Amino acid sequence: MKRIKLLSLQVLVMLVFLATWHVVTATSLFGDVKTMQFFFSTPAAVLGRTFNQLTGSEIYYHLGITLTETVLAFGIGSAAGILFGFAFARRELLSAVFDPYIKAANALPRVVLAPIFALWFGLGIWSKVALGFTLVFFIVFFNVYQGVREVSPTILANARMLGMNERQLFKHVYWPSALTWMFSSLHTSVGFALVGAVVGEYLGSSAGLGYKIHEAESVFDVTGVFSGMLILTIFVILIDALVTLVERRLLVWRPVQSSTTTA
Amino acid sequence: MTLQDRPRQGAGADGPAVALGGVDITFHLADGGRYQAVRDIDLAVKPGEFVSIVGPTGCGKSTLLNAAAGLLSPSQGTVSIFGKPLVGLNRRAGYLFQQDALMPWKTALDNVKVALEPMGVPEREADAQAREWLARVGLRSFVDRYPHMLSGGQRKRVSLAQMLIRNPEIILMDEPFGPLDAQTRQIMGNLLLDLWSRDRKALMFVTHDLEEAIALSDRVVVMSAGPAAGIVADYAVSLPRPRDIADIRLEKAFHEIHRDIWSSLRVEVQKAYAMGEGKELVEGQQSVGGEAR
Repeated sequence: MKRIKLLSLQVLVMLVFLATWHVVTATSLFGDVKTMQFFFSTPAAVLGRTFNQLTGSEIYYHLGITLTETVLAFGIGSAAGILFGFAFARRELLSAVFDPYIKAANALPRVVLAPIFALWFGLGIWSKVALGFTLVFFIVFFNVYQGVREVSPTILANARMLGMNERQLFKHVYWPSALTWMFSSLHTSVGFALVGAVVGEYLGSSAGLGYKIHEAESVFDVTGVFSGMLILTIFVILIDALVTLVERRLLVWRPVQSSTTTA
Repeated sequence: MTLQDRPRQGAGADGPAVALGGVDITFHLADGGRYQAVRDIDLAVKPGEFVSIVGPTGCGKSTLLNAAAGLLSPSQGTVSIFGKPLVGLNRRAGYLFQQDALMPWKTALDNVKVALEPMGVPEREADAQAREWLARVGLRSFVDRYPHMLSGGQRKRVSLAQMLIRNPEIILMDEPFGPLDAQTRQIMGNLLLDLWSRDRKALMFVTHDLEEAIALSDRVVVMSAGPAAGIVADYAVSLPRPRDIADIRLEKAFHEIHRDIWSSLRVEVQKAYAMGEGKELVEGQQSVGGEAR
């Protein structure tokens, strides 16, 4: 009963939103219909365009490009983050020397790197992968670093007393601990990989969802912009659900599932 | 009993299992100060002997155990294991920690099994042995549970199996049943006595519970209040074995021993209380890992 009530209230919110949008743009109550539609389009037009796009084939080419960039940025960024996270956590000197530079690099808003990446890697997918990489790397790096550093001293002492050598400690203690921390930020890092891809496409490309939105915007096609945003939202929700599924499988041993929202 | 047939690392039982000679342990605190935990400790534990160490909170009982385990090296004095000076970690000892020490990302079975990996036991044999040990501690149907799905007492049982499966010649226990409720403590105490009596190993048992110490041990060592704690008394407990730790508390001999030991322990406990809480904070900073080598 409670579930149904909640669900109907949630649907109600959507209906009220769509109805308000419709009244504002399709009636002359709030101003000239043409002007309103130029700025805000109409819900029917946006939904219709979205439906047409999703049933067509062209959008899937762009989604495929964005997905490829996201996966590459996430994969390469995570691999590098894990590698450096481990190295820095296990080598006191390394982390001490590079600490200020890592902090400085992380402080830089990554969006400003997009033009320079476009210059270096061209307008193809690699400039977007590079942008996503800079976002994903730091999240994974800090989490793995933390994961290795914050292994419970008791668990470590116990493992040593069981006679484990460095390799076995790595395999049974450091690695699982670091992965835990990384997985707990999976939503955030996958989200950032996607942000990198879309923002990169938006700033300069010839394919991808960000390109589609930018293209619509440059011809004042507000319906196209909103429809692109809607498709992007659906895409992100699907990816996020997939991540949740993966996370459930990997962190089965944990008492509570903590999930972060996509950035 | 194929488990017990495994060859030991060093065959001879020459000299005491653990011998601390004139041991001083001083910690360097984060604020640059020093804290002398224990001073001039002489203690020998014979093979097959169950020795409990009791003392007020923060007197350095655990510190002593860490020295015997090789997790800490004494600032002065010697630690010998079966007559040989201890270098690095004590490979002949098993350690049951006060805090949860199981790997939370491994099931009960994997946690026990992993203890055999450093010894090079093949996977299938390790699996069989781990299952046998889990059955022995009464967790036959819990092998696939992760630590967070087990109760505190069950986790201790897993830890016990994890330590004992390696068949260590020396067993070190740091208030292992401290966080458990009274009934569970009794059950765990009897389980421990049962497992220990099969092939008596040297056992050092740290506790703040005097009744538990007497019920379990052959000897009870009383430590003074810290800092610079020392051993103030050493009592033999000649109660007959096998014992049931719930029943034995009702016997007259138990009460006499308890009265004797408490007379010396009480003085130290009162001293510790009189010194207030400041010292406890200092003790809190001495984590095992912070000083581990």
